[in-house]
Amino acid sequence: MGRPRGKGVMTTAIASRVELKIPSRAEFISVARLAVAAVAARMGFNYDDIEDLKVATGEALTNAIQHAETTGEATDKDIVVVCAMQSDALIIEVRDSGSGFDPELRRQALERDELQEGGLGLLLIESLMDKVDFKTKPGKGTLVRMTKRLAGS
Amino acid sequence: MDRTDAELSSQQVDGQTAVLRIGGEVDLYNTPQLKEQILGLIETGVRHLVVDLSDAEYLDSTALGALIGGLKRLRERQGDLRLAAPRPRIRKVLEITRLLNVFEVRESVPEALKDWGARGGKA
Repeated sequence: MGRPRGKGVMTTAIASRVELKIPSRAEFISVARLAVAAVAARMGFNYDDIEDLKVATGEALTNAIQHAETTGEATDKDIVVVCAMQSDALIIEVRDSGSGFDPELRRQALERDELQEGGLGLLLIESLMDKVDFKTKPGKGTLVRMTKRLAGS
Repeated sequence: MDRTDAELSSQQVDGQTAVLRIGGEVDLYNTPQLKEQILGLIETGVRHLVVDLSDAEYLDSTALGALIGGLKRLRERQGDLRLAAPRPRIRKVLEITRLLNVFEVRESVPEALKDWGARGGKA
């Protein structure tokens, strides 16, 4: 398994996007977390914001992988993680090819019971990122787009 | 067992009390091990469990779920699960997920081992 390297992420002049394709399996979540952290560090995010990005990325991937497992969908499908670097923000996209889920249902479940384990991930993503969009289409998978602005911008 | 980034070890304090130390990172990959450890301790008769987070660097929502599961089971048995010494990052995650209101969180393991009768079942 290749380790993401701190160096080289932004060496090409037009590199404003880093794309990572990982198998839909739990052991690869930490690989994506580290890659996002490396990109964020390159962009000048502070320690706390980098940690926020790692947590949110991990939770988005966990959602995708768990959902594929609970619905019995093939888990040999890949998940694509895109880091889109902007001058004032980092946008992380996590795209899976599962059947999608309804974030509103998860939220409602969490409201009903504080000891409810599901929904914690969404709560973390929405609290730690500046902007979050979910796009789900039946049969087309789910896209989670998370934006974190650079402090001071 | 696969080499993972989490280190889990437990120590029995007395027949009903144990300390479970979590080091490193726990996520979807190694949460099953955390669940197993907690269930194993409960099976041996532990009712009061302190989870030592002083060396824990990262807990994802599934790891938190495992801790919530342990808490539920222990409360059903008139026991409790307390968290000890979380680092600021983990405290932040507990705060966002409103789990600071669910778990009793103490500053150190010795502090967490005190006064079990005070909350969550009379020892």
